[in-house]
Amino acid sequence: MAEKLLEIRNLKQYFNQGKPNEVRAVDDVSFDIYKGETLGLVGESGCGKSTTGRTIIRLYNATDGQVIYDGVDVHDKKSKKDLKTFNRKMQMIFQDPYASLNPRMKVLDIIAEGLDIHGLVKNPKERKERVVELLETVGLNREHADRYAHEFSGGQRQRLGIARALAVEPEFIIADEPISALDVSIQAQVVNLLKELQEEKGLTYLFIAHDLSMVKYISDRIGVMYFGKLVELAPAEDLYNNPLHPYTQSLLSAIPLPDPNYERTRVRKSYDPSVHNYQDGEEIAMREITPGHFVFCSEKESESLKAISNSRL
Amino acid sequence: MEKILEVKDLELSFHTFAGEVKAIRGVNFDLLKGETLAIVGESGSGKSVTTKAIMRLLPESSSEFKNGQILFNGKDLTKLTDKEMQKIRGKDISMIFQDPMTSLNPTMTIGNQIMEPILKHRKVSKSEARKVAVDLLRLVGLPKPEARIKQYPHQFSGGQRQRIVIAIALACNPQILIADEPTTALDVTIQAQILELMKDLQKKIDTSIIFITHDLGVVANVADRVAVMYGGKIVEIGTVDEIFYNPQHPYTWGLLSSMPSLDTAEEKLYAIPGTPPDLLSPPKGDAFALRSDYALKIDLEEAPPFFKVSDTHYAATWLLHPDAPQVEPPLAIVERMKKYPGSRYYEGTKGGSY
Repeated sequence: MAEKLLEIRNLKQYFNQGKPNEVRAVDDVSFDIYKGETLGLVGESGCGKSTTGRTIIRLYNATDGQVIYDGVDVHDKKSKKDLKTFNRKMQMIFQDPYASLNPRMKVLDIIAEGLDIHGLVKNPKERKERVVELLETVGLNREHADRYAHEFSGGQRQRLGIARALAVEPEFIIADEPISALDVSIQAQVVNLLKELQEEKGLTYLFIAHDLSMVKYISDRIGVMYFGKLVELAPAEDLYNNPLHPYTQSLLSAIPLPDPNYERTRVRKSYDPSVHNYQDGEEIAMREITPGHFVFCSEKESESLKAISNSRL
Repeated sequence: MEKILEVKDLELSFHTFAGEVKAIRGVNFDLLKGETLAIVGESGSGKSVTTKAIMRLLPESSSEFKNGQILFNGKDLTKLTDKEMQKIRGKDISMIFQDPMTSLNPTMTIGNQIMEPILKHRKVSKSEARKVAVDLLRLVGLPKPEARIKQYPHQFSGGQRQRIVIAIALACNPQILIADEPTTALDVTIQAQILELMKDLQKKIDTSIIFITHDLGVVANVADRVAVMYGGKIVEIGTVDEIFYNPQHPYTWGLLSSMPSLDTAEEKLYAIPGTPPDLLSPPKGDAFALRSDYALKIDLEEAPPFFKVSDTHYAATWLLHPDAPQVEPPLAIVERMKKYPGSRYYEGTKGGSY
């Protein structure tokens, strides 16, 4: 297996900690991200997938746990200088291309903001040239540099968001539902662009989404979250062909496909957490069922899951 | 089946500072009683404008009916006065809006919002209206309706709010329900619940539904018939099977190919190149020609008429003209056609799934 780029160890993100309205948005989640791969993270709204992404990039300070990037803990106290070098390595593309671009700034300044902060360009001419280069990378052109965000369509704005993330030449990009707000035909354009960029620049992605068919298309591995917990983590094909956790099965059965014959026979499963019927003292953890395929379950369940997945093969 | 709504040669323009935007350029369709018609197309194709025109919700200061009729029970909705239209809107024809977060009034309790159309259109007392509202909330599957009726929209989740919006739309047992991307803002699990709810309700009260969406999976799930819109026109219309398994228009091919299906192998996703046409100065030929790999010379000269594929299936593309060259659709589309009896790629029942 490839080299680990990022290790997430027992990450916890609690809001309003200790108060009656405490929310355990991310509750003891561990996984690795390998260099050059795309890890998809799916789940319903409120399951903590975006919070996981935002905690990894330090938009929130983690309540507990570690995010180890290239051997260094991201959440350790750091000098300003260390933080700056770290920030260059990791960038984020946001969900809403309408809200994530400053309406009062020109595209040139939006994209160059990272360049300025990190001192990557020496003079205004070089700055402009670099921005134009980035615009061309994402399929826009020179004329777009002097416009404002409102002059662009949704797909174009998302391209701007991608150009901004690429400006500081990151290694790792967290894409938080980058295509949810876009039309189907435009979604395909943006997903293709992300894939091309990944091949060209060797990027690693954490791709957060609730559109499962797109996630399967872009991801190498997929993690499924439910109420702050990671419940299943598997190679993309494996997850779709052999979903083991009942929540994953319910999620997959809810996706409508563009195929009327399939739709007429699709039966939706619903997930009831009480099916597990866990006893006190039972240790519930991520267990490897088949190579690379992890499920959040008890020791007893893991045995029966192993049997099930063997019989499916 | 009985036609409940007929849209004939509808043309509508917006007057803007930049000039006249020809948003709808000759749209024709019928809506039958009890059916679900899905309208698909990308942003700016005119699908929302068409339905807002039916509801007469477009600003009169800037929009103009240029031509055509919208016949509902024999009445032309484009000719009605505002007063007459108010009697129909929310009663006979009602609408579910896209964004449940913004289509509810944050300063009114949801009870009052559901009671509003009931009090307006039915001759009932306030306490009876409240009873109806509670029943409606129960119908759409909201738990503890008696208590929740006193709450405000911010106290509900997105899926619950969409249920409330549906309850308001159903308050007067409408004959036509227009749903403008009712599930786009929701999660797959909530989406599945809402779609099931709408189908159940349709069975119970026999409403006709116009369903606007760009999610083709949802279309395959809910629709009886599908109209594909592009550049202010319907380019293809047919039953759901005809559109998904025997599409004829290159734009429909593009739409269907750009969705990754869960069983396709790794390959580059098909993306329709270019951008939608500028309706300030619409192209004179086929509006899709410039983005299409299948464009013929005539596509740039003259807009194609509707060619009949079957009694229920029509497509506006010159490719169906008897003199047109035979073209090979994209691979993903040929795969779909193989499953459909009546398409030229049909492979019979061998290896079929049914």
